[in-house]
Amino acid sequence: MSIEAEAARGRLIRGDLLPYVVGGLTIFILVAFLLYPILKTVLASFVVSGKPVAWQNLTTENFTRFFEAGTYQDAFLNSATVGLLVTAVSVALALPAAYAVSRVAMPFRNLILALSVIPLIAPPFIGAYSWVILLGHRGIVTYYLVEWFGLQVPSIYGLFGIVLALSFHYFPYVLLFVQGALTAGDPAIEESAQVMGASRTRVLRTITFPLVIPTISAGALIVLVKTLGNFGVPAILGGEYYVLPTLIYYQVNGYFNLNGASAIALVNVAITIVAIWILTLINKKQKFITVTSLARRAKLQTTLGIRVLANVYVWTLLVFALLPQALVVFMSFAEVWGGTLLPTVYGFGNYKRLMGDLGVPIMNSLLLAGLATLMCIVFGTVAAYTASRRGFFAKWSLDLTIMLPFVLPGIVTGVAYLTTFNTGILVLTGTGTIIVLAYFIRRIAYIFRSVTASVGQLDSGIEEASRMCGAGWAQTMRKITIPLIAPGIVAGGILVFSTLITEISVTILLYSASWKTIAIAIFEQLTNEDIFGAGTIGSFAILLTLVLVFAASKIAGKSMAELFR
Amino acid sequence: MVDHTLTVQNLTKVFQTSHGEVCAVNDVSFELAGDTFFTMLGPSGCGKTTTLRMIAGLESITTGTINFDGRNFIHVMPSRRNIGMVFQSYALFPHMTVFENVAYGLRVRKASPDTIKWRVSEVLSLVGLSELAHRYPSDLSGGQQQRVSIARALVYEPSLLLLDEPLANLDAKLRIEMREEIRRIQKELGIMTIYVTHDQEEAMSVSDRLAVFNAGRLIQLGAPDEIYNEPKSVFVSQFIGKANLFKGRVVRRDRKTAKVALEGGVEVTGNAVVDTNPDFPTWVSEADGAIMMIRPEHTSITSSGDGLIPVRITRIQFLGNFFRYIVECRNAVREVIVDTPRAIAGLAEGDAANLILNADDIRVFVGDESASS
Repeated sequence: MSIEAEAARGRLIRGDLLPYVVGGLTIFILVAFLLYPILKTVLASFVVSGKPVAWQNLTTENFTRFFEAGTYQDAFLNSATVGLLVTAVSVALALPAAYAVSRVAMPFRNLILALSVIPLIAPPFIGAYSWVILLGHRGIVTYYLVEWFGLQVPSIYGLFGIVLALSFHYFPYVLLFVQGALTAGDPAIEESAQVMGASRTRVLRTITFPLVIPTISAGALIVLVKTLGNFGVPAILGGEYYVLPTLIYYQVNGYFNLNGASAIALVNVAITIVAIWILTLINKKQKFITVTSLARRAKLQTTLGIRVLANVYVWTLLVFALLPQALVVFMSFAEVWGGTLLPTVYGFGNYKRLMGDLGVPIMNSLLLAGLATLMCIVFGTVAAYTASRRGFFAKWSLDLTIMLPFVLPGIVTGVAYLTTFNTGILVLTGTGTIIVLAYFIRRIAYIFRSVTASVGQLDSGIEEASRMCGAGWAQTMRKITIPLIAPGIVAGGILVFSTLITEISVTILLYSASWKTIAIAIFEQLTNEDIFGAGTIGSFAILLTLVLVFAASKIAGKSMAELFR
Repeated sequence: MVDHTLTVQNLTKVFQTSHGEVCAVNDVSFELAGDTFFTMLGPSGCGKTTTLRMIAGLESITTGTINFDGRNFIHVMPSRRNIGMVFQSYALFPHMTVFENVAYGLRVRKASPDTIKWRVSEVLSLVGLSELAHRYPSDLSGGQQQRVSIARALVYEPSLLLLDEPLANLDAKLRIEMREEIRRIQKELGIMTIYVTHDQEEAMSVSDRLAVFNAGRLIQLGAPDEIYNEPKSVFVSQFIGKANLFKGRVVRRDRKTAKVALEGGVEVTGNAVVDTNPDFPTWVSEADGAIMMIRPEHTSITSSGDGLIPVRITRIQFLGNFFRYIVECRNAVREVIVDTPRAIAGLAEGDAANLILNADDIRVFVGDESASS
């Protein structure tokens, strides 16, 4: 081949175009199924129900209800109250436990961490009803509290129940984050304070605690965002106590007022963003880099008193955290339980009874979650790779777009999808497709984050070496990059899948008779007051997700606790 | 062996950063031919690695051209340049065995299984790793990983070999061993090689030609001995080898020699003069200022009054094959180093002494041509 011809061949940019095509497709999907629905929702919120979106129809009527209607004001205040209380209680519960696990000589440390992950796997609504059985009007614990101490517990329905159920469900986020930071921190920092003459409590107050404040607020942020977007627990334990997500559901399910629901959804998103903003501000004030040392672990406290205290605290906390899940399983084996404190007949009756009804929801959940997971894997991987490697024209916008669903409560996504795909070019309401798309948009951030982390750890020289060896972009991706980041993709994928098979807050608005999922089946059993049926399906869901997350941790080579950090 | 030529002309790279534009490589030109072992040397951040990466195609070019055998490289994808490259981090594929790592470039080129087997074992024996073909990179030592990465870069007979600080992660002894190994392989295969390092001793020992970089610019190009003996700037004289520098004023100058007056009235003649503007150090402010440079091995001291420049000995180090006297001198920019094979009788730490400088060993750097009068 002549030099000229060779140069001409080399000038072909075929290999360079491919990443832009793939990246472009990802951006198109994000615009069509995330940004466009959000825009439609914003527009819809400024129009009264029944009228088309047009300039002359624009009004703020849907929002003024927050100033006029008592239910709206209550729901707004209730959401804020629940959010703040759950966050505060979670942090308070988690901090001593985090310190104990990382700094006190305790046996079964890994078991403790693995157990604390369990609440994070299954959604809190599955175990929510257990609190009624424990602390409800005729609950088991209530009975003894009244019998032995003459104590009256506040009604489990309402603020008390919601905060209780969510706090004990979400505190592990703070626990895992802070425990990780305390374990990774350089012990020399605290030791040098000790050498300078500071007492143990002083070190704790002036060194240890301030250093983990950023980590605490990161954990608190997740708890807060999850609480503000949670639909399941207030739906089951709320009673007359409405929060914004249940108010949205009420608007859609009761009146099919999508415009009103859109306005509430926007307010819900707004308080989530304000909450995040405040926490970021707190975080900014505490700007420093924690030096991590892999060489040495902090010295563990071995004083007997402290050890006993730590063990008692941590295990009590775990019992409360796991009790709801355990009761779900317990209920599934209760065949006769009427008017007595405990069931009188145990057996597999519930399972036999529900065998026929279980098949369809399980198949639906697996299918919908499976398809959505596949989409997440494909587009999440491409987006993460593009964002971290290609120096694309707007890396930050991709970043922001992908992370957007993280602040959108599930039910808000539901409203946005109903608003967008109910009429117009693409009518999807009632189909499985709309659920798959909503799941995909809600979970793509999981894969995005896990792949971004994997790509970040990958030496870019490895890919450059492949190109220097003569491989093009596609070949380098196929033979080098993807095999190397595969564990991150697979672990992220399993995490997405396992959280989707019990997803409720999007599903509750988008499901139709032919697309009932496991979560909907549980929810229906609970609304029919068949707690045994709910427990049976719930047990199945818990078991399935546990197995999946365990598999993910094996594949990623991380402990279960690390997957959620 | 095909005789290749590489021509780099006015190569410039400007990076856009949050603080504005940064010129990493500034107007660099050089030409290579045949099996030259070419080294780009300079302190970190001097632009040598960026230049290498532009030749590889891993970094885009702001302005300038790179021609290989008359073919413009700019629009050629890195994968089509037929270049072998060794990375500082070795960048071995962790999920492939040594054999698979080395075979990769051949598989990409769709070589037949027989060719692959034969070529890989040939290259592995060249780097002395035949035994380890089925190990994974994580089971190898740093030096072994280094050899794999060299084998991987050579297996498809590239027209050009690029090495980006390949020895930076090895310990001192292994570094010396490996650099000889690289040189041996390079000459055995007769492949044009560009080597990047910040270690001047390494650069001197292996290269045919040397390019010294500073602040994005190529400031001197030549054979190692030429650069050591005839540095064209104060920077090069200090960066390559050790240099004793004295501050003074030019009192007389002709084309080849210059007489410099040091503070205190002493006048010294140097038999080589270099005009170094605009690279003259800013700390010499006077218009007719000059810097006198002499290598430690050409500097001597005496306890008698023969010398002209009075000094005080601050430290005597015994370094095995020679003695190093570190002396304090008010005329010098820093402390003065005197290397001598034998101890000088009658001189101890703290003693006063005199410097002896030989006009033939002195290089005078003149900052401004107007100083010649």
